[in-house]
Amino acid sequence: MGAVTELHTARTNPPWDGLEGAERHAACVLAARAGDKAALDVLVAELTPLVWHIARGGGLDRAAAEDVVQTVWLALLRHVESITEPKALVGWLITTARREASRTRQRGSAQVELSPEVAEHVLSTEPMPEAEALRTERDRQLWSAFHKLDQRCQELLRLTVLAGRAEYRVVAEQLRMPHGSIGPTRGRCINTLRALYHDGDGGR
Amino acid sequence: MRTMDDYEMEPAEQEYWLSQVARLVDELDPVPPGLVARAQFAIAIEDIDAEVELEAARWAESHSLVGVRGGAPGTITFFVGDLTVMVNVTRTGEKQRIDGWLVPAGEHGVEVRVADHGSSATTADEGGRFVLTEVPRGTTQILVRMNGGPKPRTVVTPTVEL
Repeated sequence: MGAVTELHTARTNPPWDGLEGAERHAACVLAARAGDKAALDVLVAELTPLVWHIARGGGLDRAAAEDVVQTVWLALLRHVESITEPKALVGWLITTARREASRTRQRGSAQVELSPEVAEHVLSTEPMPEAEALRTERDRQLWSAFHKLDQRCQELLRLTVLAGRAEYRVVAEQLRMPHGSIGPTRGRCINTLRALYHDGDGGR
Repeated sequence: MRTMDDYEMEPAEQEYWLSQVARLVDELDPVPPGLVARAQFAIAIEDIDAEVELEAARWAESHSLVGVRGGAPGTITFFVGDLTVMVNVTRTGEKQRIDGWLVPAGEHGVEVRVADHGSSATTADEGGRFVLTEVPRGTTQILVRMNGGPKPRTVVTPTVEL
């Protein structure tokens, strides 16, 4: 009887059930290696926001960032057998997403001979936000100031926001920043953001 | 531009600016609706195991201007390593016809997967040309299966809306 119950439990509760953070990611990686397709779906569902914000922080427009997100997950599918530290999956994703975003950026800037209407889309300096997301002047100013920051600041501030959330505490560990603290680099980025925001407001 | 680097910001003000960044992350630049499902579809590939070398292809810049933005048919290109694949999409009523060209040419297997519509497969001719007709429209992924080398290679694309 007992054995049957155990088996039943093992079937209905996946190995990552009840785990959090790095332990949960590691359990999913190991299950994926054993052929459990649902394990990869869990990782995609929970960590796509992280990969998305790395790609966007790397200066890609939304369409290019979408491709980077999918390419990173295809890379995980390819490398799931060879990831040496399943617990460090978040670090692997950050590194892979940065590399892929950088490749995409270089390819974009190497493009030549664009027609004028295409160039209008491609060469805009600020990656476009969600359509019609910028409803107020305040939103437009925030968007514009944020995208004048260097890419390091843009990524760091996006990741800081994610790392402040319970489900992304592992990102804070990856950034080697105590939860809730403001590191010196972040402080500099925030100062610059504020200055750019007020400059956009006529230097008030 | 003025700089305020020397100015020590109050914690409350830092919190305010971080909350502004949070607004940007959550409201102005959220993960696109459906992206998680598209990524899950993209990795749900059959016949992938340790015996197959999986390679993720990249769409050339133009696909965002052809497929995603306009929703109109046209020519799109993807590539990986030395392989380039040009794909021309033509509407045929509710469905579409896909004409493709592999460079360098090879008699490789080509599969087109459409979310919720299964997949269609064919083999390119010796000139690298392939044709698939009556392909449903939707979230689409293209795979090229190459058996020539020491290890079978499968090239897969990110999804594209066709």
